[in-house]
Amino acid sequence: MISEYPGQVVRIICVLLAPLIMMFGIYVVAHGHYGPGGGFAGGIVIGVGVILLRITVAPEVSHKWFPAVIGPAAGCVGVLGFIAIGGLSVVSGEAYLDYAAVEWFGGDAADRRYLGILLVEIAVGLAVAGVMLSLFDSLAEIQGPDETIPEADGYVEVPLGSSEGIRDGEEAR
Amino acid sequence: MIWQLDLLFFVILVVLALLALRVRNLMAAVAILATFSLMVAVMFGAMAAVDVAFVEAVLGAGLTGILFIILIRDTGERAAELESKRPVILLLPLIAVFVGLMVFASSGLPDRGDPDAPAHTHVSPDYIEGALVDSRTPNVVTAVLADYRSIDTLGEVIVIFTAGLAVLLVIRTMPGREPDPAPGRLDGEGDVT
Repeated sequence: MISEYPGQVVRIICVLLAPLIMMFGIYVVAHGHYGPGGGFAGGIVIGVGVILLRITVAPEVSHKWFPAVIGPAAGCVGVLGFIAIGGLSVVSGEAYLDYAAVEWFGGDAADRRYLGILLVEIAVGLAVAGVMLSLFDSLAEIQGPDETIPEADGYVEVPLGSSEGIRDGEEAR
Repeated sequence: MIWQLDLLFFVILVVLALLALRVRNLMAAVAILATFSLMVAVMFGAMAAVDVAFVEAVLGAGLTGILFIILIRDTGERAAELESKRPVILLLPLIAVFVGLMVFASSGLPDRGDPDAPAHTHVSPDYIEGALVDSRTPNVVTAVLADYRSIDTLGEVIVIFTAGLAVLLVIRTMPGREPDPAPGRLDGEGDVT
């Protein structure tokens, strides 16, 4: 587990930044029709916003705001949503992922494809953000084989974010 | 793109790659790798591949570094010394032959941006001309990824999801983890003693 960052300034700045980063990620996902980016890049930016909170704020707080289950859940919803959106056109009797055939979208063929692209981008963004967050969460909870890492030829190693490191930092202040 | 700038970027890339291999502090190596990715992203941007540049900057220069650092936290910052010092001179001819083959093969590739290149004559004109009309999407890359080639994208998403799931399962069932309170776990039931 990663404990909270010792410096208060860093914590506050990161808490202020994280929602803006996530909002930029949502913008990138939603703006994929017109600008660079789309589901993949936007999903990663959203995931990074949550990861920033994970490495700065106390774990109880960040897990209260974004529970660990959110990663796998968003990944599943994204992948299954993508598959389901593709299936909509099959219900209408056309080829898989042929958004123009989905009459339920309304509008003409181009409008339907526009909406289909948007929905697919959102699904991809959810999937990528969820997978990245769950990757980070699973890697962050690894405990080394031996928590007390030995010193190698006079080089003192303090594991990042370990409780000893925090205590040292507080004593130094 | 100006060829001098191209050359400069390539030199920087090679130097960064060598540095990342030579440096013994792993944190520094991760920082150099992130810089490498950023340089690659700048090159992609200069080639007008803005979407790829964006993903490279976000993923290569951002997230990959975080994942590496999280792992280094558990393994220690110092790289282990190589045990066997193989003479590098023996490898040089191999490297030279490989680089020569690559240069020879690349001389047969079409020029960058050549309109007669095979990649630009098959279906891409239809995509470029049709994206705005077919789907009201000015960004052709998005139209190709999410509409014309959406099954490829579906496959990619499933691959990413499966890979993430596999990492999750492997780490959850790693030996040495404190036992899961949930009953019916699969890990380490036989080898407790």
